[in-house]
Formats: sequence, structure tokens, C-alpha cells
Amino acid sequence: MCGIVGYLDKKSGPKYPIGRPLLGMLQALSCRGPDSAGVAIFGPPSDWHIRVSRPEGLDSESFIRELRKLGVAVHRHYDNGVYDAVLSKKVAIATLEDQIQLALPGTEVICLGRCLDLVKQVGSPEKLETTYEISKMTGSHGIGHTRLSTESRVDLSHSQPFWAHGVPDLATVHNGHITNYHKLRRAYEQAGYRFYTENDSEVIGVYLRCCLEHKLSLEDALRSSLDDFDGSFSYLVASEDTLAFVRDRYGFKPLMVAETDQFVAIATEEIALRQTLGEDFVVYEPAPGSVGIWHTQQPALVCT
Amino acid sequence: MTCSIDCHGKTTREINRAIRQAIAAGEREIRTLHPDARHNLGVALLEPVRIVYEGSVGYYCAGMIDGAHVEVHGSAGWGTAESMLDGTVVIDSNAGSGVAASIRGGTVVVRGDAAARAGVSMKGGTLLIGGNCGYMAGFMMQKGKIVICGDAGEALADSMYEGVVFVGGKIASLGNDTVVEEPTSGDESWLATLLHQYNLRSPTHFKKVVSGRKLWNFDKKDLEVWKAAL
Repeated sequence: MCGIVGYLDKKSGPKYPIGRPLLGMLQALSCRGPDSAGVAIFGPPSDWHIRVSRPEGLDSESFIRELRKLGVAVHRHYDNGVYDAVLSKKVAIATLEDQIQLALPGTEVICLGRCLDLVKQVGSPEKLETTYEISKMTGSHGIGHTRLSTESRVDLSHSQPFWAHGVPDLATVHNGHITNYHKLRRAYEQAGYRFYTENDSEVIGVYLRCCLEHKLSLEDALRSSLDDFDGSFSYLVASEDTLAFVRDRYGFKPLMVAETDQFVAIATEEIALRQTLGEDFVVYEPAPGSVGIWHTQQPALVCT
Repeated sequence: MTCSIDCHGKTTREINRAIRQAIAAGEREIRTLHPDARHNLGVALLEPVRIVYEGSVGYYCAGMIDGAHVEVHGSAGWGTAESMLDGTVVIDSNAGSGVAASIRGGTVVVRGDAAARAGVSMKGGTLLIGGNCGYMAGFMMQKGKIVICGDAGEALADSMYEGVVFVGGKIASLGNDTVVEEPTSGDESWLATLLHQYNLRSPTHFKKVVSGRKLWNFDKKDLEVWKAAL
């Protein structure tokens, strides 16, 4: 199971209250997965920022103090042990996560970037709204996930969306099972890539990171994933200016898409689109083995 | 007399109970408002009633019905009308995967496109698709007719036992043990009547796909066909 959603606003720019349709669609799909919920929302570029969770056994004051030594200035924290911080200009972005892991082992870096705001936690979409007020979040596009755990633990780390560690402003959500996950993971670990969870969906971000580091475009990476991933998958990817879906060659996992002059909306089931956005548009099931890509402020590119 | 059921704020069970209560009370025309693509609406109805869904429906709508006339003024999700015995299901927009799977009789009409695995394992009846359809339509069908006005996806009618598939557009690839024939004049007049009945535009020419019957019995001479099928 699991439910995934995506939304891109074509008209209003980065101040669109994107959290509202994402929350509505997640609520409609919450019966597909009660274990955890999350959204990744993309707004205009701001200062470099990071969201981290405090490791167990470390008190809040020490955690904030140690982060400050690394150039990470906490400006807000939540009751669930999650901290928001901005980065000083001296911070080396590429190596920051390694530095944090070295100084504060067990810290979870939830997201890092200039556009990306990613929140997730164990529990329902309603609970996510209570903690983070996602209905008030603004941006031009975003993705969301509601999870039914089948293979790995139910905790913050194993919840989705996943930030693609090492690539600022890139996030994924996945419905399905990447069955060659262990084989891919072994190969990536031998090549020096680090995995932070036991969730097979994490490999999508690592795969995309590796492709981008080998100078493939995001579009080409998404297309080549159809050959390199085995199993059932409908997954969504969002970056600073892109929203995309990929659907496995057999169409094992459902996915529905609607596009109008106003928006692109994607959801696991049509019920999410109808209950949130109404009846005044056509919905289609993209062909198995297809990739759909939309850029903010640019015409759509849909390829099969 | 028409009875209206507003789905807004109701659970699937409450909607289906309201439909059944209306039928039991003698209603023969039921309008269902705001279905919002909910799953499992109006399944296994055995009475010859007319049900109109004023909007999209989710998975398995009208499955296992026997004699009802169902109209969907929107799109339909996976497995719509699956295993129906008799009746009519007309979907104005697109249909999800597995539409009309395993039907035994009646007619299913998709005015838009149908996704993958349409009409798999059909045991009778007719599936009419106004647009294109995805891969493996008519897989292992045993009886009945599928009409695709647009293009058909890969492995069309793979391993069909019997039945017939008409395609107006391109066929991405034929399934195992299928043969393409020219439609007979009888086929053409049946197609023209069917398309006229549902007000769908006829393509200029239909290809007719039937079973090659090589997979009916094992024969060493056809080993290559068996290898490909299995």
C-alpha cells in the first residue's frame, strides 16, 4: 500500500498555499497507510537551511551548542526533537552532513537546501498538520506520502518523503517495493555511498544522486531507473524547479494524473484528486513504464 | 420516478445500503451524486435498475452485477465491472486497469481510454473502448468481443483461447498465439450497429484478432510457441 501525492501550481507562483491540496490529498489516502505521513514543499530560494532530529540521550542545550560550532544556528525546535537551523556562509555544504555525523552521531538530517521544506513524522496526516501546520505552508510544488510499513521500522528515519542525502533540494516519495534493493545497496555502499535507513525506498534518492554525480540529467536518470529498478514502483521526485513521476513497466502500482491550466496533480488513487480538487478535470492513468516531468513556469514534458 | 443519493459525508457502506434500500423500495432509476471516486460502489446488484453516477467512481464499481444499466459520468478506477454477468456499464471518460476483467455477459463501454489489462479472461459479453488501451488487453480471454477504436498496447490478446478482438488503430504488438484476419461483412455490420448505438465514431477499418489455437493442445511441433507463452 502507501499513498503518494504531488501537486504543482502553474499560476500563482511560489506563494501558493501548496500545503492545503497536499494535506487534503494525503487525508483522502490515509487509509492506504496509517504508519507515518510527510510532505516536501518547494518555495523560492532562501538562505541555506537544514532540519535535523536530536539523537536519543543528548540534551537539547548540548545539541544546539554543538550544532552552532559547525556553523548551524538553530532558530526553532519542536516537541518531537526536530530542529530547524540556518547555515552560516562558511559552512561547506557538501561535507556538512558528514561533519554532523562525526560530531553528533545518531543525528538525523531530514532535509537540506535553499528551497526544500520537508516535514514527516510517525502517525496520520492530521497529526502532521497538528505538529507542523502544513496547510499554511506555501510554495510552487510539492510531494507527500502516507505510509504502510511492510519491510522496515516505523519511525521518523524510515518515514517518507526522503531527502536525497548529498543533493540539496531533491526529495522522493515511493509506493511499492524495489526488489533489487539489497543488490543495489551493496553496489552503492562499495562505491562509497551511505545509507541511513533499512527502507528500500531510500535507494531511489541514492540512485538519482549517483546519476547526477555522473553528469546525467534528472530526466535521463528517471528514465534509466525504469531499467535499473526491479519490482513494483510508482515514485515521485521533486526538485527546485521540477515535479516528476516514474511508473514501473508493468503498472503494478496505481498512479493517477490530472493536468489543467491551473495545476498538475498526481495521486495514488483518483479519490484523492476528486475529494480535494473537484470534478472539473480529466484524470488518466499513465502508461506503465512511463515518465512524466513538469517544470515550474515551463511547458510539460511527458515521455513514454 | 428517480431517486437521488448524495454520497457527500457518507461512508461506502452507507451509500451501498442506500442504493439497496432504494431498489428494495421499488426504485428503478437511481442518481448517485458526488461519488468522488470512492471504491466498491454498487457491486453485485442483481436487479435491472438504472444507476447513474454523477462523477467519477473508484475501484470495482458495478462488479458482479446482473442486469443493471450503469452510467458513470466521469472516469472509473481499477477493475470496473469485473465479473459482471449481464447488464450495461457506460463510462464517459477513462477507465483504470482491468476494466471488464472476467465478465461473463453484458456490455461495458469506455468512451475514453482504458489502461492496462482491459478485458482479461473475458468469458462472454462485449467491451467497447472508444479510445486507446494499454498492454495485454484480452489476455487469456475465453469468449466475447473486445472492440478498440484507437490503438492497442503490447501483447494484445496474449494466449487467448477464443473470442475476438477488433482494433481500429495501431497494435503495438500481438500476444502469443494470435492471428489477424479480415473482418467479415457480418462483423462490419455488427460493429457499425454497436458504434452507432453508443454514438462513437467508427475508424475507417478494423483489424480482427482471433486465437491461433496452437496453445489448445500441446504439440511438439509448436514447442517454440509454448516456450514463448510460458
